[in-house]
Amino acid sequence: MSRFLSETVDDVRTMARGWRWGRRSQVPRSAEAYVPPAQATVFDTDWARTPAARAVREVAQKGVLEPLLASQVRRHVEGIEVLDRVDGPVIFVANHASHLDTPLILLALPDEWRRRTAVAAAADYFFDTWWRAVGSAAVFNTFPIDRRGGAMAATPGAVLDDGWNLVIYPEGTRSRDGWVGRFQLGAAFLAIQHRVPVVPIAHRGTYAAMPRGQDWPSRGRRQLTIRFGEPLWPGEQESPRELTPRIRAAVAELIDEDRTTWWEARRRAAVGSTPDPSGPDSAPWRRIWEQTTPPTAPTATGKRLRAWRH
Amino acid sequence: MSRPGFVLEVDDRTPPLVVHEGQGFRLEEFPLGTRVIYPPESLPAIDDVDAAIREALLEPVDQAPLPAQLRPGMRLTIAFDDVSLPLPPMRAPDIRQRIIEQVLTMAAEAGVDDVQLIAANALHRRMTPAELRHIVGERVWRSFGPQGLLYNHDAEDHDNLRHIGLTDKGEDVEINRRAAESDLLVYVNVNLVAMDGGHKSVPIGLASYKSLRHHHNAKTMVRSHSFMDHEKSHLHHSAWRMGRLLKEHLNIFQIETTVNNDVFPAPYEFLMKREWEWSVKDQASVLAARRALSVAPRRLKHKMFHELRAPYGLTGIHAGDTEAVHERTLATVHRQQLVEVDGQSDVLVLGVPYLGPYNVNSSMNPVLATCMGLGYLFNSYRGQPVVRRGGAVILYHPLDEGFNQLHHPSYVDFYDEILAESTDPAVIEAKYEQQFATDPWYIHLYRTSHAYHGVHPFYMWYWAAHAMDHVDEVVWVGGDRRAAARLGFRAASSFADALEMVSGTVGTSPSITYLRNPPHLIADTR
Repeated sequence: MSRFLSETVDDVRTMARGWRWGRRSQVPRSAEAYVPPAQATVFDTDWARTPAARAVREVAQKGVLEPLLASQVRRHVEGIEVLDRVDGPVIFVANHASHLDTPLILLALPDEWRRRTAVAAAADYFFDTWWRAVGSAAVFNTFPIDRRGGAMAATPGAVLDDGWNLVIYPEGTRSRDGWVGRFQLGAAFLAIQHRVPVVPIAHRGTYAAMPRGQDWPSRGRRQLTIRFGEPLWPGEQESPRELTPRIRAAVAELIDEDRTTWWEARRRAAVGSTPDPSGPDSAPWRRIWEQTTPPTAPTATGKRLRAWRH
Repeated sequence: MSRPGFVLEVDDRTPPLVVHEGQGFRLEEFPLGTRVIYPPESLPAIDDVDAAIREALLEPVDQAPLPAQLRPGMRLTIAFDDVSLPLPPMRAPDIRQRIIEQVLTMAAEAGVDDVQLIAANALHRRMTPAELRHIVGERVWRSFGPQGLLYNHDAEDHDNLRHIGLTDKGEDVEINRRAAESDLLVYVNVNLVAMDGGHKSVPIGLASYKSLRHHHNAKTMVRSHSFMDHEKSHLHHSAWRMGRLLKEHLNIFQIETTVNNDVFPAPYEFLMKREWEWSVKDQASVLAARRALSVAPRRLKHKMFHELRAPYGLTGIHAGDTEAVHERTLATVHRQQLVEVDGQSDVLVLGVPYLGPYNVNSSMNPVLATCMGLGYLFNSYRGQPVVRRGGAVILYHPLDEGFNQLHHPSYVDFYDEILAESTDPAVIEAKYEQQFATDPWYIHLYRTSHAYHGVHPFYMWYWAAHAMDHVDEVVWVGGDRRAAARLGFRAASSFADALEMVSGTVGTSPSITYLRNPPHLIADTR
């Protein structure tokens, strides 16, 4: 009996290691040419927006996710008052560097906004297996979008029309070095088509806390900062190609503001010298080095803010 | 669309790979850089099998349509491949049943009364009525079996053998008299691998020892490179000479079928999948199967495996003139099984599965395991062997199944007495083959019981002769040490140990190739 048990443990270990349980499976390099093209399956997530699923999600987000996130990272939220000036639905557009981005954004939102917000997630990544699809749809209210095809899937528009706010990462994937990549046109296209404002969001520190390839935040409760910008309304005749750079510039200014001060960032924006969020043209290690430095939140400087100067 | 076969190079992303070992399998972590040859995925099966059969019979290759060859008063004999094909046995209805039923329907319409059906089992054991019924189906069995018109070929019934003549190389051609004296002999084959079919069907399947000894011998087998490639196989050259002689005396309507690679039924489909593509369900099945096999009693394991019936799909059927038909058949077999391999390696790794042609519903004794590994699997190549001359073969099999006394009585004596004397195929052939081939007790058991012919274990040893001649080292991983020693080989407890043992021959960092078989494949080694 003990032999059976030890062999069972060995077998389970072998399989857990070989098939990377809990992580994404891999294809041997020499077999990559023989991987069949993924089947385009449409995973229905309408159920995730039913009252029952919303109740479950409320418990998952506030009862589990928020305490968990708070235990692993420190957060600093700025600019949330911009939401007082708009009515939903809106499209939240943010830079994307980590799996922490979505919980950070959702949990930064006021409850009434958070409960009405859905997240666009890559169909080929979050919806490739049923359990991943169900899990992400239940907890984060995700719906699948095809990031490889040119045309946007029909789902985001339908979700928007139902009065849900969307979170979209126009980069399409997590940054490999923490800097901001090229923005795709999908978010701008949706905003124009459905005449809804875009709320730019910039956040820093998620790459340093939990970069691509890591499945749990680094130790030490890293600092994350998130900053909401003024809503951008698409112009009457504005095309996605014109709106997208405007959104990206707004995100860049927010990053600059977060890095320095609102005043400095405004002055640089006025003269068009906002630092490029795609980062310096330097050696890859230097780009990563810079991004792995955790940001310093105003409350985390160690100095007390003093109202009166002596 | 099924994907082609390919050669995997083991890297850090490669999960452990399935290696068959008798009534079980293990998950082996091969060294980085090991080449693993994967067979092509199963080809799509023909949807309307009955229509395909009808078309083949009505539009044969280089012959008149079958109905035109049938007439009242003629002698019609239908011969068919025995229980050794396909492997595992096909889920009912067997393709032979569906063909024979259509042939008989045409014969009935043509008013043919004199029909007999013969299982072409050569020196294999007689099949039981249940096995015959599984192959031909209940309807055919009921119409011919109880009447004694559907039977096993008896290679020792000298009254019912007919010596046709000698080939230009002096080889005796002697086959079943009924078949030889028929107006038309219809042969129904299952061409599982490239070795089968062609002139191997009638001149071998219906032959006697007197005829078989010309090609089933050590010298011929050592020169057959390989016997999966009939153009380079001395065994097949001999069979082809015999077939051409037969053709002058006998009308043969050859029907050949090919099947796809759907070897394992549910819940064992994972054995046909590429490991890195195993779903969660597959992984759970693997774990469950391995755990169940580790505690299952031997009889239960035997039952679990030997009751598997393959859900083979038909990929082709051709009828007519033997050689023209076989050419088309081989093209389909190659489409399903051929994988291009670039160059030889120092070490060849083979997992010997639970089943070979000669242990259907029986046990894989050490001699048969040798034949399966060093015979069939080693010879699954075209061009040149996957392993270099002087290299090593590492096989997986426990070699502990023992002997089935009903089916393999002569194997027991061969193992206990002959292999104790010598394991050299040429030596044992010269010294002992005649004695076993003519032993009256073995002949009696072959004719009246369900025993393989007395000479059969020698043939098994000859099948492995080319491999034994070609490589310097043979090691059985997980094999019973005494059994391996009796066979003239060595046993290792793990793959790492086996590599250590062969390092004296192939060095400490040899190139390794693993043939991921079954499903069936042929390595086209350039």
